[in-house]
Amino acid sequence: MKRRIKEWLASGRIDIFLGAKMVDGHPLPHAFTRDRIEEIEEMVVGSVRYPLEKFAAQLTAANPEIRIGILARDCTRRALNVLKMWNQIPEDRIETIDVDCCPSPLKAHAACSYLDPPETGLFKKHFGIDGSASLETVEQYEPRDRLSRWMYEFQKCIKCYGCRDACPVCFCSDCTLEHKDLIGTGRLPPEAPIFHLVRAVHMAGRCVDCGLCEEACPADIPLRMLYRKVNALVDDLFDYRAGEGAGPPPLSVIGDRPTASPKPMGHGAVH
Amino acid sequence: MECRFVPSVCSYCGVGCGVLFQVVDGKLTGTLPLKTHPVNEGRLCVKGWNLHDFSNSYLRLKTPLIRAFGRFIKTDWEEAIKIASDRLKEIVERHGPDSVGVLVSAKMTNEENYLAQKFARAAVGTNNVDHCARL
Repeated sequence: MKRRIKEWLASGRIDIFLGAKMVDGHPLPHAFTRDRIEEIEEMVVGSVRYPLEKFAAQLTAANPEIRIGILARDCTRRALNVLKMWNQIPEDRIETIDVDCCPSPLKAHAACSYLDPPETGLFKKHFGIDGSASLETVEQYEPRDRLSRWMYEFQKCIKCYGCRDACPVCFCSDCTLEHKDLIGTGRLPPEAPIFHLVRAVHMAGRCVDCGLCEEACPADIPLRMLYRKVNALVDDLFDYRAGEGAGPPPLSVIGDRPTASPKPMGHGAVH
Repeated sequence: MECRFVPSVCSYCGVGCGVLFQVVDGKLTGTLPLKTHPVNEGRLCVKGWNLHDFSNSYLRLKTPLIRAFGRFIKTDWEEAIKIASDRLKEIVERHGPDSVGVLVSAKMTNEENYLAQKFARAAVGTNNVDHCARL
């Protein structure tokens, strides 16, 4: 793998490779470049995940000519597909080195799984939603019980926007969650459940179940469960799963037929 | 295009969450939590997520300012410290040392806090030392 990356950098196939390196005992994301090509020897692949595809999108936005190589887990690959669909990264400027992992239900077969979630505590299991349970388990709760469990979770929210800031497929410069006429900033606590439901609706057909949102949430809200439900609905209704590269998401068009080219945000996109 | 990731500590409250700065071409463009930091374990509050925002703000002060003639006037450190100490001495002389209070903070280092209380007790001559958290 390291040899291949060095070849790519040396030959000019890529200008930057986004991977990880140990710094002071922490595995940090690192942009390996041609002029310090020997650093590739120190590259690590581990269980700590940063949204590398988000960095790639930001770099290509600032410099459209740049060619980026990226260490791609399954979630990264799905996210890259979504970003390409939404015109956030150019098709031909990203090269991936694929590593296998993925405990998400969106992946048919996992070669290994780094990401066993921590054991859910008893209180949370009793009063809230167990994030590591299956969607079916949650759907079996009675409606009133289910609502009170979700409200228990949502009321812990401190509106840190970590879920949105960490999300690799969130890129809107005009975010609904910050728009002063819609949700707006500054008022705490956020209105539960509307804050989370608005985000969930925006994740429909977009979320790739990478889990970075849940990892970033200081209140341990089971966001993955919520977004899985929304995407299960999209799958049922439109037979569309985000990240498979199967064309524009059904919720991004107005009309009865998706058009050939995806529309950029702000023109015809459904909020 | 130079892209670096610099680990650091959040500068807001006394908790000291680990943050990761995204630096592109020498400019701070983004903030992320440090996933392996023992204090925050990959989580941040809204202030921590937006450290890059205020760091580059045009509103940040670049020189000391003195309020005179109803306006703020730019000056240098020597002048500013001299004026501050002259005014403080004047206040201590006129109203007594107990008219001055010193507030320390969890955001300062232990050494700075020690210095502050030493300044209050030995230099100014007052016992009025307290903490910003008790405000």
